Amino acid sequence: MNTNRALNVILGIYVALIFAFVFAPIIFSMIFSFNSQRFPTIPLGSFTTEWYAKILADPDVWEAALNSLIVSTCTALIATFLGFCTAYSDFRYNFRLKGPYLALILLPPTIPLIIMALAMLAWFSRIGMSGQLYSVIIAHSVLTAPFAMAVIRLRLNQMDPDLESAAWNLGGSEWQTMRHVIIPFCKPAIASALFLTAAVSFDEFAVSWFVSGLNKTLPVIILEIVQGNIDPQVNAIGTFVFLISMTLVVLAQIFFASRQLKSIRT
Amino acid sequence: MPFKPGRNVNLYALTWRLPIIFWQFVFFVGPVLFMVAMSFFLVKNYRMTEAFEFVNWSRMLSRGYFWDSYWYTVIIASVSTVCAMCIAFPAAFALAFRASESTRRWAIFLLIIPFFTSYLVRTFSWFVILSESGVVNAMLATIGLGPYTMLNTNFGTLVGYMTLTLPLVVILQTVTMANIDKTLVEAARNLGCSAFRTIWQVIIPLSKTGLIIAAIFCFILSFGDFVAPFYLGGSQEPTLPILILDTTKSGQQWPRAAVVAIMMMLTLFAIAFIGIALAYRKPKGAK
Amino acid sequence: MSEPLVVFDKVEKKFGSFVAVKQLDFEIREGEFLAIMGPSGCGKTTTLRMLAGLEAPSVGEIRLQGQVMNNVAPHQRDTPLVWQSLALFPFLTARQNVEFGLKMRGVDAAERKERALRWLDKMGILEFADRNISTLSGGQKQRVALARSLVMEPQILLLDEPLSALDAHLVIRMQAVLTDLQRELGITFVYVTHSQSEAFAMADRVIIMGKGEIAQIGTPKDIYRAPANQFVAEFVGRNNILSGRVAALSADSARITTPSGDFTVPTNDVSLTEGHNASFVISADLVHISLAEPESGNRAFCRLISEEFVGSMVTLFLEDRHGQEFKVQMQERELSRFDLHSGDEIWLSWDTASAHVLNET
Repeated sequence: MNTNRALNVILGIYVALIFAFVFAPIIFSMIFSFNSQRFPTIPLGSFTTEWYAKILADPDVWEAALNSLIVSTCTALIATFLGFCTAYSDFRYNFRLKGPYLALILLPPTIPLIIMALAMLAWFSRIGMSGQLYSVIIAHSVLTAPFAMAVIRLRLNQMDPDLESAAWNLGGSEWQTMRHVIIPFCKPAIASALFLTAAVSFDEFAVSWFVSGLNKTLPVIILEIVQGNIDPQVNAIGTFVFLISMTLVVLAQIFFASRQLKSIRT
Repeated sequence: MPFKPGRNVNLYALTWRLPIIFWQFVFFVGPVLFMVAMSFFLVKNYRMTEAFEFVNWSRMLSRGYFWDSYWYTVIIASVSTVCAMCIAFPAAFALAFRASESTRRWAIFLLIIPFFTSYLVRTFSWFVILSESGVVNAMLATIGLGPYTMLNTNFGTLVGYMTLTLPLVVILQTVTMANIDKTLVEAARNLGCSAFRTIWQVIIPLSKTGLIIAAIFCFILSFGDFVAPFYLGGSQEPTLPILILDTTKSGQQWPRAAVVAIMMMLTLFAIAFIGIALAYRKPKGAK
Repeated sequence: MSEPLVVFDKVEKKFGSFVAVKQLDFEIREGEFLAIMGPSGCGKTTTLRMLAGLEAPSVGEIRLQGQVMNNVAPHQRDTPLVWQSLALFPFLTARQNVEFGLKMRGVDAAERKERALRWLDKMGILEFADRNISTLSGGQKQRVALARSLVMEPQILLLDEPLSALDAHLVIRMQAVLTDLQRELGITFVYVTHSQSEAFAMADRVIIMGKGEIAQIGTPKDIYRAPANQFVAEFVGRNNILSGRVAALSADSARITTPSGDFTVPTNDVSLTEGHNASFVISADLVHISLAEPESGNRAFCRLISEEFVGSMVTLFLEDRHGQEFKVQMQERELSRFDLHSGDEIWLSWDTASAHVLNET
């Protein structure tokens, strides 16, 4: 019994170390963003908001932030729409070639981003769509639609299979049923999918870097600053980016989880 | 047209089925196929011309630096996978068997967050932390060690890979092991299996499929990442993604980059195929 | 005479190569309470779903008020269904659930509300009108589901095992609610169930289905006293079934030899042939018991295996020395005169008229 407790303590410490490793770069980046040293180390220098002041004064950063906002919002809308359509088709229908159909949406995240970036860059150049903000939006929709699909499909799994038939039975056409039953039922998952796809899009840098041309997003700005030298501005931008994407992910999870709790209660 | 229940093809059904087919064909299948085609194109005077020549393939595959880079990438991605699997296992074991349901859910909740936050900034953070005068060396100095060179080494690359893969591997391992029938584990213990034998002979075989899938994902992520080897590994030995990057960004040699990309995809397909075959193979002696 | 409300005309339904129902040939009369009963997988739910338009017949025709319904979409029919799972919309309140069908039909908001509240009131759950569905009890949800269908003021209401999720005491209450409603509204109820007690307690007519086919259609009394065949006799469960060979035949009765002895049965309309096999049933509640051997008539000597009490009724399970099982059902106070224990041996007897010969199928 004693060795068991000792083992539990050791395992507890081990798990804590793993979490420390995972969150250390996030936390250090936040600390460094308020640190006066150009090459941060221990002991820390004095507190400063210099780096924030610097990025706030930089019109490139502002432009990139605006671009990122546009890209992630549009991506979220398109990817969630595509994800919803596919999740519903998979839920409702059986048809031939359904395996390849699902592979079509689920494969992109398993291909390394650098390869997707090259392929997208070449293709967009070929069809004359390269270097635009919408190129990034399109590419990101392909990459993030599977996340939306997965979240919404899980929600549909929890739906009473009779619910849709019940609506038809009460005089609702298929379209009315979609509007008054399926979409309301999936609302929390749709919200969750919107936030999740926005978060992925907001952080993506490889594909953005390749296809965005001069319309840089925030991660691309970071990439370019990092390529130069150590510049604590990155920590300031990074902290900002972290806070936004963490907020999005947490919101996504809250919508996802609150719904699950509800279904447990009923 | 009269409505027939269960009818597969009508306006309503197609409205939901077609968007993704259209979208992915134009913006996913199109790019990938075009990349394959592009690998046979020619570059003349910095301009790409459509052709069907094997010159890019023969050039790339006959170069020593390509194969050096290829094997280096395969090996370091494999090392990364083994490291991530081993480092994650005790944590996943603890979360699956020793933690309460709610602790486990919270842990997974937390581990999902970094997966969706900027990997680039996290890598840069490591760059600062691991540098000669960084936080780690400063701490080691207080106990009289170091300074150690960690950046621009394989160690640095691996730290980056772990940052990328560890949260996902811990999640996948935890979920897999948490789904094991606990009574089987208890039965093994009651029959006198030691803790380690139980892990080796009961838990690992039972969670084999999930573990292999975690390993495949880990390999794919490491294999395709250019950030860690570039910023933390110093790219002295360029990995394949860095090769793609350099070839693309310098001199419009897209067709050669495409050759590298296709070689990477083929390798990943092979790895995934072998992995999945192993994962779903029936154990020896089973009916 | 005009055509009945619903006609199933040689309907068959296949799912791939699996035949769910075949040779469905029956009618549903206006204003009747019809139960469709059978074991799970017998095709009863498929039959109901075809009536609601959720499945299309593979062969044959379904007519509603003389109109062929095969290709009419479910939402264009007026056949509301009360679902086994209730299928209430979890994101709506009780009142919004009841209003749903009216909303789909384009009824304006004020009238919707008024009608929904009227029905919630009628079902005795007006106070829960604005509550979320998930906060209601099983019985309350059941009433919302009924109100949601009845607010459409249909001519025919379909019910698919609506009481199967309720506690036993609630089932009895809801049975009374349903029969009262049906009488009061005068509309047709088609009630699918696997429960004999529900079907027999409420229905005017019962259809017994087995393996996708109709085994018997009749009043509960017909089916109980005169099962058409072995399947129905066994399914009804409160029957004693004996099989043997026809030894002698007269104008209106026959003598059947079984391992347990020779018995006289009325021939009814069943055609029997001397020397051929035959089976007959006796309802468990028509069998008498006695300690002394009855002087004449049909009788069997059995050992008591066990007793089962349900309310004031008791069912005795017995077996004779040839392994033939018997069931006897009687009032508990009748039984108390005998002071029986398991293992005791007693005589069973019944009137010849109580026996019923089965059609061999």
